[in-house]
Amino acid sequence: MSVVFDAVMLLLLIATAITVARARDLVAAVVKFGLYSLVLCLVWQHRGAPDVAITEAAVGAGVTSVLFLLTIAKTARSERR
Amino acid sequence: MRVFALALVLVVAATMVIGIAGLPPHGDPDGPVHTHVGARYLEQGVAETGLRNLVTAVLLVYRGFDTFLEVVVIFTALVAVLALPSATRQPPPSRDESAAASRRDTDDAVPVSPVVFLVVRLLAPFIAVFALASLYRGHVTPGGGFQSAAIIGAMMIALGLVFGREHAARLVPHGAKAWLQALGPLVFAVVALVGWRLTGAFLGFPADEAAHALREALVVILEVAIAVGGAVILAQLFMALDAPS
Repeated sequence: MSVVFDAVMLLLLIATAITVARARDLVAAVVKFGLYSLVLCLVWQHRGAPDVAITEAAVGAGVTSVLFLLTIAKTARSERR
Repeated sequence: MRVFALALVLVVAATMVIGIAGLPPHGDPDGPVHTHVGARYLEQGVAETGLRNLVTAVLLVYRGFDTFLEVVVIFTALVAVLALPSATRQPPPSRDESAAASRRDTDDAVPVSPVVFLVVRLLAPFIAVFALASLYRGHVTPGGGFQSAAIIGAMMIALGLVFGREHAARLVPHGAKAWLQALGPLVFAVVALVGWRLTGAFLGFPADEAAHALREALVVILEVAIAVGGAVILAQLFMALDAPS
């Protein structure tokens, strides 16, 4: 069960990482990156590192998303081709 | 170009996979992780530091110097952001009055969904209590200064998004702002010098049994400084980027 959970989570991580890299709309990329952080937070918790999981949830999924969105608001929303 | 990029990715990936294959199996009791200094931390850590959370013991007592520089790195990040001309530049006066005014209007009254407004307002006190609990119990249970800083900082940013930056800015007292931003490095330096005075080693902690209370007090002071300083730095990063330019 534990192995299955780990496998599913790690596959989700790889999948979200690829969608982040492929996203043209940077706002979509930020939202997907938040999802990536959330999955990673579950992985940390499952591997017995609650300290890191708390920080990942607050900083990875929360603060950096806001900072990225603010940066997009100040620059451009879509990637230059 | 694409072929080159693909080749580069494959070479790096192959190197990493070979490196991972060479690691000892996860949880192997004979692995270097468990036979080097880690073994001593696990066996002696609680007795030597008096902290029941070994993560905090390693972070603040055994590896205090690393954590000191980590706090300095976070502070330096804020300094770098504030040094960007666009982060602190005031909007040009009078030249574009109407545009500036309309921007100020939208700044003060961002249309926030009532659901988001209510949820953030309801959750904020609970988030604050959770952060304080993880700070207060940090030397016993998972959590501590950095976790608490991240949670409080995220809460301040959420409040800033919902109530507008004018209200959020009031969460940090204006006169004490500069001191609070530098609180982590400053307090760490003071504790390090106190340790020097007491034990003869920079960032040393008194080791004998009688100094247990003093040791714990120093750790709690460090944790509080990391939490408050870190939270203020996160909030200030948000303010600097959110400022109208």
